[in-house]
Amino acid sequence: MKREKKKGVWYRLDNAGVLYTALQKEEYSSIYRFSAVMDQKVDPEALQRAVDRTMPRFPGFGVRVRRGMFWYYLEPNDAPGPFVKRDIANPCQPVRFREDNGWLVRFYYYERRISLEVFHALSDGAGALVFLRTLLAVYLRELGYEIPQGEGILNVDEPPRREELEDGYARWAGKKVLRSGPAPTAFPNTGTAEPFYTFNITMGFVPLDQLKDKAKRYGVSITEYLTGVLLKVIADNQAQKHPAHPRPVALAVPINLRPWFPSETLRNFILTVRPSIDPSLGEYTFEEILSQVRHYMRLHINRLEMRAMLTGNVKFQTNPLLQVIPLVLKNPVMALGYRMAGVRPYSGTYTNPGAFQVPPEMASHIEHMEVILGQATVPRVHCASISFGNTMEITFAGTLKETDTERAFFRFLVKDGLHVKVTSNRQGKPVEGG
Amino acid sequence: MSYCVNCGVELDDTAAVCPLCQTPVCNPSCPVDLESPKPFPVERSEVPPVSRVAVALLLSSMFLSVALVCGLLNLFLRTEHAWSLYVIGAAAMLWVWVVPPLLARQLSLLVRLLLDVTAIAVYIYLIALDLNGMDWYWGLALPVILLGGACVLVLSILLDEGRRSILSSVTLIIGTGGIFSVGVEYFIDQFLNHQWQPAWSLVVLAICVALIIPLIVVRRVPYLREEVRRRFHM
Repeated sequence: MKREKKKGVWYRLDNAGVLYTALQKEEYSSIYRFSAVMDQKVDPEALQRAVDRTMPRFPGFGVRVRRGMFWYYLEPNDAPGPFVKRDIANPCQPVRFREDNGWLVRFYYYERRISLEVFHALSDGAGALVFLRTLLAVYLRELGYEIPQGEGILNVDEPPRREELEDGYARWAGKKVLRSGPAPTAFPNTGTAEPFYTFNITMGFVPLDQLKDKAKRYGVSITEYLTGVLLKVIADNQAQKHPAHPRPVALAVPINLRPWFPSETLRNFILTVRPSIDPSLGEYTFEEILSQVRHYMRLHINRLEMRAMLTGNVKFQTNPLLQVIPLVLKNPVMALGYRMAGVRPYSGTYTNPGAFQVPPEMASHIEHMEVILGQATVPRVHCASISFGNTMEITFAGTLKETDTERAFFRFLVKDGLHVKVTSNRQGKPVEGG
Repeated sequence: MSYCVNCGVELDDTAAVCPLCQTPVCNPSCPVDLESPKPFPVERSEVPPVSRVAVALLLSSMFLSVALVCGLLNLFLRTEHAWSLYVIGAAAMLWVWVVPPLLARQLSLLVRLLLDVTAIAVYIYLIALDLNGMDWYWGLALPVILLGGACVLVLSILLDEGRRSILSSVTLIIGTGGIFSVGVEYFIDQFLNHQWQPAWSLVVLAICVALIIPLIVVRRVPYLREEVRRRFHM
């Protein structure tokens, strides 16, 4: 498809995008991946046609990062591509702004799996899922199926709308900033790093109805239940390995802001909250952890507090002092800031973009969905989950050799009465004696 | 379908071990499926390294700029002598050493060495021309250069053959050094006195042999080898 070069068009990075571009390095990947496992083997040519048709509808994804004097910025990418590639064993590789023709989205196929990888500076999970849903609809149409418009599928024949490109943070930033002291350093839950560019993925599949029943029995939501399980297994890990001086165990849980602040943006519009427990007070029962998580979420995820939080982030970005620091100096400052405020206070990340909704005509062609977060700045696992139909998929991904966290997590679910099926890209060799 | 006996999770039909605890799958009624595709691809991809062409271009421009600057300086500074040719020649020699191997990855060892040795020989030849020293060039410099090239070639072939341990590699390097020193003295003697009277090179050779023998012993005796590995973190 012929693309016109729009001269002089550029986009300012949003609040989250500024951070992700500044942090980008070889040992950290702010790339995440959504995959759809279809009912039949992927036709790469049809997929490439679908990509070519879908990309112009999503100008926020067809961009490249440019280096300004003071900030990075985005501009439309008129280079050939992006091209659909055969999938690889170590996905979510760190992005290099000058390579792969500057593309910040990648498309892969393997057997029945279609994967979309997105650089987090472009969009969050909710935006990327709109893109993937539309891409899958166009792909299925290319294969000859009748897929209706609507239900979260954008019409690729329509021009893109301005609202989809808006900076939600800037729009909703208020005046009052949420003042809070620095969060305490959490148990890091790190381990032995694998050699460079090894990326270990372990996926667990749990029946959604069973999971729903289980969460309901505890009186919590599915996200709260899985957050609680993760906190529990990390706390147990700490109690086993470092019992002398227990530190708080905390998770970074991204929250989609769209339900609270109406916005149609396909760019980033998330904030992270920090549910935590403090094992130095004593040993928590699982029910106590769930209660802690549930009440924390209900107490802090509210419109006014979140607005004050995002206002603080926007104010930081528009700080006149930070504005005049050249980019070369700004990047290390932001990396240090992220280390202090974004890495140290957390033991891991858990994100749940929720259920992937598609029209019934599409649903019969999709078997299940998968999500993977890229490698963290320190060797530890990130957890993410997504549901489709009656399957909840939970991924642990990272550059860790050990499988402690995921093993304890899935064993906990099994002990709690849930059926779990596990797959992994680890090329495991049996250990003697099991 | 198989379940892990330790974790209780259902495993993929193609899994030979539980990915969580590495316990082997041993299910007589459902053997591991070796035919179906694995759930994840096995081919790894790595972020491509910095383009070699770009590095070659960078190095070329560095050598060229040094050569140009010195050439220009020579027009104003000590103009009675063409000193800049030494720098330009050295830059050209370094270029031959570094850039062609970057551009042609499949260059054979012999061709590379031939190029490198020729570059040195030509550079020294130019110096000899400038200093009117063709006699020492043909009588001493060229034979030593060729001997050095031959030693490096033999050493590279020996080191390249299979996987040599650090101990064997060090032994080979020391041995070659000893032989090279004998050769150098031979050419010096031939050039100065027209007869070979080995002296200092025998001392060097003796030291090399004295180093090699314990290394070979350590290499051969497993207990000693392990001890050395432990002490030197090899």
